[in-house]
Amino acid sequence: MNILEVKDLSHDFKGLKVLTDITFEVEKGVRHAIIGPNGAGKTTLFNIITGTYKPRSGHVYFKGMDITRAEPYKIQRLGMGRSFQITSTFDRLTVFENVRLPVLSRKGIRFNVFRDVDKLDEVTKEVDEILKKVNLHTDRNTPAKMLSYGKNRSLEITMALAGNPDLIMLDEPTSGMSVDETHYAVSLIKQLTEGKTAVIIEHDMDVVFSFADRITVLHHGVILATGNPRDIRANPEVQAAYLGALEMET
Amino acid sequence: MNKKIQWTLWAAGLALIIFYPHVFGAYYANFLVGIAIFALYASSFNLLLGYTGLLSFGHAMFFGTGAYGTALALTHIDGLPLIPAILIGIFSAMVLAICIAPIVVRVGGAAFAMVHLAFGQLMFMMALKLRHVTGGEDGIGGFPTPPLSVPGVFSLDMKDSTLFFYFAMAVIVGSLFLMRFLIKTPFGQVIVGIRDNANRINYAGFRVPHSKAFMYVVSAAFAGIAGSVYVLFQNLISAYDAYHIMVHFMPVIMVMVGGVGTFIGPVLGAVIFGVLEEVVTYYTHNVGVVYGVILIFVIIYMPLGLAGFLNTIRMRLSAIWMKSADKSSA
Repeated sequence: MNILEVKDLSHDFKGLKVLTDITFEVEKGVRHAIIGPNGAGKTTLFNIITGTYKPRSGHVYFKGMDITRAEPYKIQRLGMGRSFQITSTFDRLTVFENVRLPVLSRKGIRFNVFRDVDKLDEVTKEVDEILKKVNLHTDRNTPAKMLSYGKNRSLEITMALAGNPDLIMLDEPTSGMSVDETHYAVSLIKQLTEGKTAVIIEHDMDVVFSFADRITVLHHGVILATGNPRDIRANPEVQAAYLGALEMET
Repeated sequence: MNKKIQWTLWAAGLALIIFYPHVFGAYYANFLVGIAIFALYASSFNLLLGYTGLLSFGHAMFFGTGAYGTALALTHIDGLPLIPAILIGIFSAMVLAICIAPIVVRVGGAAFAMVHLAFGQLMFMMALKLRHVTGGEDGIGGFPTPPLSVPGVFSLDMKDSTLFFYFAMAVIVGSLFLMRFLIKTPFGQVIVGIRDNANRINYAGFRVPHSKAFMYVVSAAFAGIAGSVYVLFQNLISAYDAYHIMVHFMPVIMVMVGGVGTFIGPVLGAVIFGVLEEVVTYYTHNVGVVYGVILIFVIIYMPLGLAGFLNTIRMRLSAIWMKSADKSSA
């Protein structure tokens, strides 16, 4: 079953074509990577799916529902969670409070003004369990802005997963991380998305090929190919457009 | 802090309030009520600036409207009891906030501040010009102050300064703790999240404009309570007392000096400026000059306000204490 379907999506910024007739599906239980060189339109596509931008034409279906023009909070409530390429945590809140917000949201505790939030034992317990799982429990009471870059990135990803979404959208989760941090983050993401559906934008080829079940290659706003990692690696067009270019760069 | 110390402090605070008017007399009882009203007003402003991250230059709209609401109700409705009069004040402030909220919650930063400056000045001009309603510069006064009563059970004369002191303190301290609790609810957490990163709150599945609007109206309601108690206290309200630019800026200054985003900050701010005004007016009429100098000093040397400054000292001391404890144990 397809959890996400993108149909004939086109978008431009003031006449500059960014995406042209993008069509692809994400199957349930699959880790799907979107790759492509800088400026290929990956982040734009990502932002349209998650509700940041409204596309010029085309549709996005999530669980069979048209979410093309839905607000981000609505899409999130339907069961899609996202992380941000540029770390977007709550600076002055502690690690615990950062993770608690998406957990509260999932439990539908949104407009409650009658309970002391610290006394919602079930929520507290669950957040602590999540923190332990991702190894952030030692920084439980540290404000997010005091964390190291790598830890803040982990927190960013944890927040996207804490809402236990049916579809996890990760926008360059390892961007800016050191080699060690990337290693750790990749194993963490692998572990946490096991058996779940995830769409991930990634620059780092090692990450993509070690992680993805399916890959879509984007180039100049057009889909070059979609397939499993082996086919993509063997695809001559992809090699010319992307992998080759990378090798030349290095 | 352990429970015992906490309870001792509560008991001491309660005892202080009970004995204060008897020890210090009517003049200083009134002096403290004046400070407490502004502490409540500044705290309601702190809900916006400190917790939601919205800077408003027009918060007196709600303070003034609360005051006018109660004053007009007492003037025009014969035999209106005390509590309904206050509720009308709160309700007036809330209605105004509900009318403005849809416009202002969609803007932030400088635009939010300037829109409020504009609305605030509009209210000031209206209060000045609609003389037959508001009394303009002279204001309205001389309306009856009803007793706090339950018919047939008790009746407390609110013209008695000691009884009014108790009543005002109960309302104000109660309101302060309601606001403190609100921040600790799940909704309060969402609000604090909006302050730090509204976009992320949206992507966490919360509706940002609705949450902001709700907080905005709550903040207006508490400012309305402050205005309402103020007008009962003064028995007079004019365009200048309600909406003058100084009334708009007082909570901004108090919260900044006291400490943004803390419970105690606005209270400290109100105490500092209340005491200052009392002292400075002995020597000069230019109180504003002294306020300005203090504001500059605080912004440069204590950017987190007095509450932040005290907190830093406390943390330094406890760090030193812990170090010496380590040494002695080793």
